[in-house]
Amino acid sequence: MLQISDLTARVAGKEILTGVNLTVNAGEVHAIMGPNGSGKSTLAQVLAGREDYEVTRGSVTFEGRDLLAMRAEERARAGLFLGFQYPVEIPGVNNVYLLKAALNAKRKAAGEPEVDAYEFLALIRQKMKFMQMSESFLTRGVNEGFSGGEKKRNEVLQMLILEPKLAILDETDSGLDIDALKVVSTGVNSLRDPARAVVLVTHYQRLLDYVIPDQVHVLSGGRIVKSGDKSLAQELERRGYDWVMGAQVA
Amino acid sequence: MSAALRSFETQWRTRAPDALQPIREAAMERFLKLGLPSLRDETWRYTDLRALAGQSYREAGCETPGVASLSASLSLVNAEQHAVTLTMVNGCPVLPADLPDINGIEINSIREIYKEDPNRVRRFFESASDADQRRWVLLNTALFIDGLYLKITGTVPTPIVIRHLSTGDGAQAAHPRIIIDASPGASATLIEHHLSEGDITPLNNSNTHIALGRDAQLEHYRLYATGAGATHLDALDIHQSQDSRCRQFTIALGGGLVRSSLEARLSQPGASLESYSLLVGHEDRHVDCVNIVTHAAPNTCSRQTARAIAGDVSRVIFNSKVIVNAGAKNADSKQSCRGLLLSPSAEIDTRPQLEIYADEVKCAHGATTGRLDPDMLFYMLSRGLDRETAQSLLVYAFLADVLTGMSVNSARSAIENALISQLPDSQTLRKFR
Repeated sequence: MLQISDLTARVAGKEILTGVNLTVNAGEVHAIMGPNGSGKSTLAQVLAGREDYEVTRGSVTFEGRDLLAMRAEERARAGLFLGFQYPVEIPGVNNVYLLKAALNAKRKAAGEPEVDAYEFLALIRQKMKFMQMSESFLTRGVNEGFSGGEKKRNEVLQMLILEPKLAILDETDSGLDIDALKVVSTGVNSLRDPARAVVLVTHYQRLLDYVIPDQVHVLSGGRIVKSGDKSLAQELERRGYDWVMGAQVA
Repeated sequence: MSAALRSFETQWRTRAPDALQPIREAAMERFLKLGLPSLRDETWRYTDLRALAGQSYREAGCETPGVASLSASLSLVNAEQHAVTLTMVNGCPVLPADLPDINGIEINSIREIYKEDPNRVRRFFESASDADQRRWVLLNTALFIDGLYLKITGTVPTPIVIRHLSTGDGAQAAHPRIIIDASPGASATLIEHHLSEGDITPLNNSNTHIALGRDAQLEHYRLYATGAGATHLDALDIHQSQDSRCRQFTIALGGGLVRSSLEARLSQPGASLESYSLLVGHEDRHVDCVNIVTHAAPNTCSRQTARAIAGDVSRVIFNSKVIVNAGAKNADSKQSCRGLLLSPSAEIDTRPQLEIYADEVKCAHGATTGRLDPDMLFYMLSRGLDRETAQSLLVYAFLADVLTGMSVNSARSAIENALISQLPDSQTLRKFR
């Protein structure tokens, strides 16, 4: 589904990604772990199409298409979803409006009819209930005045409504208490499907107790230095990132 | 002497005198002495009138060919929701022979009322100062053909609408004049809607004077929605007595060159003013807005909220000044101006100012101008929205502070519609409302 080859990228003139190689197949859940500043969020943003991040080398294909040649909105409509580490507040733009516009943009691109207002409200209420979100969400601006946990729930809610083929979740677990973590994990697990894939970018192993990954990768210095199965996450938790980075030198 | 000044003088000399002659004469004399404002004048430094000064103007006619064709679609509020709609064509009131009797409003021609009882309206022609922003008001006083004098005597539950229609060519000048005189305890909503037939219109030099008696309440709208070639100079004066409350909305959505001023005087304790300005620069439009609010008594309150957006090669200026006179203790004022630039060639200038001559006052001001937030934009794009739609939604959200303050729902929705039609991807945006 996703193939990243030798990807290097710069942010504000500084090389952050230095040659990332990664293959994610349909049906798989991958976890990308790594210390602060290793390039995890940059990778997520580059994949989603952030324009001020400059790709200097390498290629990315998504379902056989050249992802880097697509604009951010085209990537979204093709089924790529980024759950933001820090979802932005957009006062004055209603949550429901944004979501409805997002869903309709995707349906339009797929040649499907737009969803009608009644149908959409029923859908959103059902998903909100699943994510244990309060009704007040419906009338508020995008992420406006949300707590950190509410913002993360909102990201997962958006994902559930848009049903992406590939979801990249950037530290969706950070800042969540244990109950919220369970809700978010249930949300992510509900999307697991042989036709979809999930990439979890995370700092901690904690989330991986609830969403079991097929593969775990360690990103360090802008490239993947180690890959393994779920036991790698547990080992990292025990031995710390220094262990991998030490191994990298050796 | 500029060509414009000469032509105004010629118009003045050929005018048949009326009951207002002494007032008009004094105003014209001062106007000719002062001349047209120039970039050297403090409140005109952003608006160059040299092109205007080089033209000759003749009186815009009162013929009303356009009135018949004024369709209902030009209405801001529909018939059931308003008290009355009054029409002015090129500054001439077009009053039906049988004006309906409306509870709480008396409608008169300014000339008629002045002839009958000059004392009722004389005070509205006494210009408070020679300040540069008042020059065009002097010219209006000298040359206005007639105007509307509205006396609000009670509670009028539905809006009063005044439609100012401009029709003719660019070599004509019109001087619409409105007086709104609210008795103590009266309350009303008044909407002034400036529109034009076609893009090229006469020079429009309008003046509205509002006086609020004790405890009176008024919500006033002025909406500029004239064609792209229109030049509009509009002055609004507000005088407020004890415990009166005024909410004022200035919405610039049309015209080529718009100069809009508001001068408010909170003369007695407890008077409060909320002013909202929604200024939209589009194509090569030039919008210059000047607000001067004087706190002349203790315990007076003013709030000014301005939202300016400028796209294409437009320029939007918002200057506001709060003056707190000596003795006006516990005056409370806030000025908030935010600007949003939508193109690299557009320009927004804002300048909040304070002049405080009293102790124990609370005066706050803030002004920011920037571009659309790239993080907000990327967030929306990453959800699959078109760039145009995302930008329009953000612009719309930026203006929401002013829109949500409007209490006349039908006017608000009409203004929103007119606003949206000037944003990119208006078709998609309409679905969001």
